[in-house]
Amino acid sequence: MELKDEIRIAAPRDQVYAALNDPEILQKCIPGCEELIKHSDTELEAKVTLKIGPVKARFSGNVVLDPTQAPDSFSLQGEGNGGVAGFAKGGADVELAEDGDETVLTYQAKAAIGGKLAQLGSRLVTGTSKKLAAKFFASFAKELSAEHVV
Amino acid sequence: MNEMTPTKSERAAALKGLGTSRKRVEDSRFTQGKGNYIDDIKMPGMVFGDFVRSPYAHARVKSINAEKALELPGVIAVLTAADLEPLSLHWMPTLAGDKQMVLADGKVLFQGQEVAFVVAEDRYIAADAIDLVEVDYEELPVLVDPMKAELDDAPILREDIADQKAGAHGARRHPNHIFTWEQGEKEATEAVLSGADVVAEETVYYHRTHPCPLETCGCVASMDKVNGKLTLYGTFQAPHVVRTVASLLSGIAEHNIRVVSPDIGGGFGNKVGVYPGYVCSIVASIVTGVPVKWVEDRMDNLMATAFARDYWMTGKIAATKEGKITGLWCHTVADHGAFDACADPTKFPAGFMNICTGSYDIPTAYLAVDGIYTNKAPGGVAYRCSFRVTEAAYFIERMIEVLAIKLDMDAGELRKINFIKKDQFPYNSALGWEFDSGDYHTAWDKAMKAVDYDGLRKEQAERVQAFKNGETRKMMGIGLCHFTEIVGAGPMKNCDILGMGMFDSCEIRIHPTGSAIARLGTISQGQGHATTFAQILASEIGISADDITIEEGDTDTAPYGLGTYGSRSTPVAGAATAMAGRKIRAKAQMIAAYLLEVHDNDIEWDVDRFVVKGAEERFKTMKEVAYASYNQEIPGVEPGLEAVSYYDPPNMTYPFGAYVCVMDIDIDTGEHEIRKFYALDDCGTRINPMIIEGQVHGGLTEALAIAMGQEIAYDEMGTHKTATLMDFFIPTAWETPHYETDFTETPSPHHPIGAKGVGESPNVGGVPAFSNAVNDAFRAFGVNHTHTDMPHDHWRIWKTARDLGMHD
Repeated sequence: MELKDEIRIAAPRDQVYAALNDPEILQKCIPGCEELIKHSDTELEAKVTLKIGPVKARFSGNVVLDPTQAPDSFSLQGEGNGGVAGFAKGGADVELAEDGDETVLTYQAKAAIGGKLAQLGSRLVTGTSKKLAAKFFASFAKELSAEHVV
Repeated sequence: MNEMTPTKSERAAALKGLGTSRKRVEDSRFTQGKGNYIDDIKMPGMVFGDFVRSPYAHARVKSINAEKALELPGVIAVLTAADLEPLSLHWMPTLAGDKQMVLADGKVLFQGQEVAFVVAEDRYIAADAIDLVEVDYEELPVLVDPMKAELDDAPILREDIADQKAGAHGARRHPNHIFTWEQGEKEATEAVLSGADVVAEETVYYHRTHPCPLETCGCVASMDKVNGKLTLYGTFQAPHVVRTVASLLSGIAEHNIRVVSPDIGGGFGNKVGVYPGYVCSIVASIVTGVPVKWVEDRMDNLMATAFARDYWMTGKIAATKEGKITGLWCHTVADHGAFDACADPTKFPAGFMNICTGSYDIPTAYLAVDGIYTNKAPGGVAYRCSFRVTEAAYFIERMIEVLAIKLDMDAGELRKINFIKKDQFPYNSALGWEFDSGDYHTAWDKAMKAVDYDGLRKEQAERVQAFKNGETRKMMGIGLCHFTEIVGAGPMKNCDILGMGMFDSCEIRIHPTGSAIARLGTISQGQGHATTFAQILASEIGISADDITIEEGDTDTAPYGLGTYGSRSTPVAGAATAMAGRKIRAKAQMIAAYLLEVHDNDIEWDVDRFVVKGAEERFKTMKEVAYASYNQEIPGVEPGLEAVSYYDPPNMTYPFGAYVCVMDIDIDTGEHEIRKFYALDDCGTRINPMIIEGQVHGGLTEALAIAMGQEIAYDEMGTHKTATLMDFFIPTAWETPHYETDFTETPSPHHPIGAKGVGESPNVGGVPAFSNAVNDAFRAFGVNHTHTDMPHDHWRIWKTARDLGMHD
């Protein structure tokens, strides 16, 4: 499964990048995120409850960031395990471009899912993932815009 | 004789014996919802088991934590391999001489593999508890493609036997290699190929599919600790084999185990094997002291219990330029999944794949089959066919079509000039079988005439022209097939499973008032045994089929037999039934002679009675003899009228048939419409024509499913992609075409009543007929187009049309 999109965020790039590294903001914006712990600047651990079609599962996963090109771009790799529901792994490349006071975020993500999730939810996975990504960025943009105004 | 005395033919008709389309006696209960299937069985205090299954196709199991599951109210126990190990039940032998994990022992080898067995007070609690069992996996590289099994970077799947250079079927050359089975003459065949006028080559993949019976697998195990007896109800196609294996595995004496197969909602090979669910249920019943029920859901069934096919068959067929076949070469890569759990006779690790010379007189042939381990579910069962006979028939019937293209010859004519001739039977094939009987030319000519073959070809040529003129977008395919099956395993000289000889049995008891019960070692899964076996017996002993009860499936009462699969019931148990009936008649003759006060030799059998030769008004009916046998002192003869026969068949039987499928294909949508399907079957003596027709309809519909859409598919991570009926194609009335059935009758010379078996013929012959029709539709549109693989779903048909430039 591949996802890509471009999102305009009404906040300067440094602020966007900082927010993307802020576990509190991320936890608020990731749909179903129950817990997000930052172990280091590059390592995160998350617990997320997801429902795809008939499968509802609580995933626990780890995410590793590669910020060497930050803030122009960065990449991340992650994997999550939802017990009998299955598992997911994938990565994303994110680019942040300055456009005046605003930032244009583009991302390309690749993910693979396995187990029951892939079997029962395969028709719904891409659609659900797009919806979840859109929801994340909508919340994220809103969160940041609010901060920016303040 | 007064007018009221029934004539001989009226008496024969009253028996409802051989050749009668007697209504199925089973159906009154099935159609009223009064069947007794495994899930109908409820025992006092019964609890339920369900499996934690692996989401990974290949992973190490680092730990299993059942604490949270055990805290859930209603959960009684969670079994893991560690619990089974002290009983040596964490692994079990397979029917193919391999061994299989009952519960994951250190690693998992396919997605859906059984990891832990949760036992709870009800089925729903068990399902909830599964989510609470925490398993820590370490993912390993996955092997999905069997062609990559022996590459340097291939992961080693079976670490337990990685160092074993010899398996159950000879040398192993790689840890992921199971066996190589060779038949025929390699060098002679290569010599024929290199000197031939024409050689056609093709790789034909018979995809992985699944029997998918409507009723899934299941069991109820009940260990009675007071009397030490284990009762096991289950969906078993071979209850006696299950009892013997259960005794050997558990150490419980065989007389203390009672295995019962109740009504079975379809088997098709899926219910031959022994599954972890059975073993875990038995252990759980021993542990808890109460009956334990385990029944698969549909995903469990499609993911974990036995699949079928998955043969990659590469062939070369040599012929003279006139089309006389001179040689056949076949190399097959057989994907067996994670454990070799095929249910083949022990000496035949690739089943009867060496029937792949088909209906043709092929003087020289060579077959090699490589069995390979992959990260997929185990199985390789005979899905509505005798062992690997569908694969063999599909292979040869595709190769014939490919050869016809190469020779630029009509595929029907090519078949005809290569058929084994009637006077060549018994025929010894190049790959080692003695075909008992056949008359292929008569059947073929009848089929060609019935469908107006020449007219069809003319219409097809016109259609091709119309397409080229831009007048139509629908192509027409004519799918031909002439198959020869090999069923009725089998003679004990070469057929056994785990050392158990493949005879079968029948035990008959005639009651004093002249009705009877017959018990057999087989078990019906819908075939109608209670109807047809009574008919065999009616004709043998002169008691109406309506007065004969047939009983199967309870090892406490039925005589030992190897069960029902591979169309073996009629050829083997049917023969035993006739032979036991003849023993009854032999004793009855002595009694009748005594009652008629003549010598044994002075009376003869007449439909339902013994008559004095030359004085047919003096007779004793079988009913009268039965009464006398119990109630009259007959000097020198024991009271009672019972017989038993254990029948070891001298040979297999070789049913055959000629099928024609006419199909229209929309090249823009890939949709197909089956305009005609003609099926001529020769199953030897026909016991019940109505049941034969029903079997043919059912088998053809399963063939339609396999050829046109049904498959077990895995993604590159080893995730099973077709585990629900949303993705796994089962035809409904909507997709199922009209079938025309026909027959010829060539009795088996060695079977007591000449019957050969029929239940599987339509699947064996149907798949090539459907597939050949699809391929034939494209024959005119590509010089190099000789073959497309099944299943021929709409997308694949559309893609073939696109690849051939037909959308341009």
